[in-house]
Amino acid sequence: MTIDAGRNPHPIYFAGAFATGGLLTFMVHLNGELARYGSPLFSSWTAHGTGMVAAIILLLLVHRRRKPKPEQGLRAPLWAYFGGLSGAATVMLTSTTVNSPLGLSGTLALGLAGQVVFSVAADSWGLFGMQKRHPDTRDMVALGLVVAGAALIILFGRGAA
Amino acid sequence: MTLFVLLACLGGVLVGLSRQLNGRLSVSTTPLIASFWNHAIGFAALTCLGLFVGGLLPAGAAEAPWYAYLGGPLGVVFVAAGSWAIARIGAVNSALLIIGGQMVTGVAFDYISAVPASFWANACGILLIVGGMMVSRGRRKVDRPQ
Repeated sequence: MTIDAGRNPHPIYFAGAFATGGLLTFMVHLNGELARYGSPLFSSWTAHGTGMVAAIILLLLVHRRRKPKPEQGLRAPLWAYFGGLSGAATVMLTSTTVNSPLGLSGTLALGLAGQVVFSVAADSWGLFGMQKRHPDTRDMVALGLVVAGAALIILFGRGAA
Repeated sequence: MTLFVLLACLGGVLVGLSRQLNGRLSVSTTPLIASFWNHAIGFAALTCLGLFVGGLLPAGAAEAPWYAYLGGPLGVVFVAAGSWAIARIGAVNSALLIIGGQMVTGVAFDYISAVPASFWANACGILLIVGGMMVSRGRRKVDRPQ
């Protein structure tokens, strides 16, 4: 049995990731409001534009004080800059499937499945230059419980009084 | 129908791919810089698409409440936090916790805004999610090297 430092991350990382999920709820709600008045394309385009401006402001506020870390000398490969392309394509796919017989709950549930399969593959093989971490039985049990709970909420909990 | 099922799954794969790429960029730079490029590249791509298919500025958009425009700035924090997390706890744990956080706050949000919902399905769902997160955390205590 191998134990490495990456196996014992600080609890703050877990709390942070959980809070990030909470942030997503509000983001989806706000972007949905904008799409209701305009269109899904307008909503995503505006969110990316205002986000870019917000990022520049934050970088100007935060970044001046930061010294470059020595371990960051390794340059990022060009493809690492294209995460935004993948995100923009997601918007197009989901706004198509939401308006198909799948509806919102089907889109969310199947998206969940896609995300889980990708994350297991990504960790198992260390895809796209990230650290390899073999998911063990406990990881899979935890993932199974979270996905089952999320599917229950998506398919039977929301808007089904 | 099969096509829509595949597209919906692909949507989830792309969410994971985006987090993986942004995470890789943040390892060489910072999470905030990764978030900036995510939004800049996405904005450029959507501008091209909008100019091509039209409808970039729909008529009703001006009537949207001001706070609806805060989704973008929130997204910057979301992408930065995701890039920060994935580099530290991996793709599986990041997905697990972000999905859990989204579901738990989503249910709370629905109850606050009085959206009709099934109490038992939501309650059981949250119990499963919290149980899953405890299983994921519990292992780390057991494995802690002495």
